[in-house]
Amino acid sequence: MLDRESTFANPTIVKLLQTRFIPVAIDQAYQRRQKDNEGRFYQKIANQGPRKIGRGTTQGLYTADASGKLLDFTNNRGADRVLRMINGSLEKHRPVKITAIGKGTPDTQYNPKPPKGGLVVRVTSKILDGYQEPENEFRRIFQQSLGRDNLWISANEHTALARGQLSKSLLKRLARFHLVDNTRGEPPMWRENEILKLEGKITNGQLRTTVQLKTAKGDRGYEAKLLGYVETKSGKVTRLDIVANGQFWGEGPYTRNAPKGRFPLAIAFTLADGKDTADTIPPQASRGWVQGYVR
Amino acid sequence: MRLKLIILLGMVPLLFVQSALALTDAEFRKLHRELQPDPKATWRTIPWKTSVLDAQAAAAREGKPIFIWAMDGHPLGCT
Repeated sequence: MLDRESTFANPTIVKLLQTRFIPVAIDQAYQRRQKDNEGRFYQKIANQGPRKIGRGTTQGLYTADASGKLLDFTNNRGADRVLRMINGSLEKHRPVKITAIGKGTPDTQYNPKPPKGGLVVRVTSKILDGYQEPENEFRRIFQQSLGRDNLWISANEHTALARGQLSKSLLKRLARFHLVDNTRGEPPMWRENEILKLEGKITNGQLRTTVQLKTAKGDRGYEAKLLGYVETKSGKVTRLDIVANGQFWGEGPYTRNAPKGRFPLAIAFTLADGKDTADTIPPQASRGWVQGYVR
Repeated sequence: MRLKLIILLGMVPLLFVQSALALTDAEFRKLHRELQPDPKATWRTIPWKTSVLDAQAAAAREGKPIFIWAMDGHPLGCT
């Protein structure tokens, strides 16, 4: 989210990416592991940079030509540095005569698809209060950011929802993997034994849920109430809007600098219409093990 | 009178806790609206692809270089 509000908010960078490049955004934790053409093409590019495949993250910004020849790399997000990289890449770039690489057989472990007959739900999160005055602009961006993920609902759970029933499996998935503070980075998910209370039901199209989540050490938790609305037509859910609001505390290894003590965290769920590119992204918690996520 | 006052004062923390935890329909609508991403955010105007092979095909076709935004967690979603 830092990049969204800093690097990719720079009008010159945006204009150049819109007109002179083919921009692609990926969770490299997939591509650096994928044993298929998608993975191999990315790995070829990444291996020409300083962060080699097999040595952990390859996070960063890369430019390459259509053959996979690296033009430049940076992991610096300053707009000036990125602009220099972009302009330098344009100077270096020579179009190559090459055909499109076929997709081949995808590595199924890293190509999860939403369940057939199921639903994709957008999940957004925001810390409503509790931060101290930020030391700098980058910190301010984190403090105001909106987390974004997708919730996948199976066909059976969809059918139950359309009948006005809230499946236990759906309720548990929603709590474990989506009632998290992902506003500053990749959050830790909840283990099953960290669910202290999880009660919910749908009455006349209104969903109400109470949840208490807490780690064994008590250093991270969330106590919230959920209110939502479900509408159906011809056996299909046409509206699923939910809001969770409650008190969160603690942080994870990749979500440092949370507000001190307890702070209000709200999480909203909205049925995806497929118009947003981000609707196609697998849920964060499904990475590498979609069967464990949708079960 | 004093007894009524004591009872009422005793209920104040309870009412506060209830109010802090309860989610009303008005709060639902306000928060749901507040948590929707800004569709006009500048970074959204960039035509991001989500597959490097799709980008490779477009780069080969259009003679343009590829720009890869590679993160831990998907940059269009988490992180």
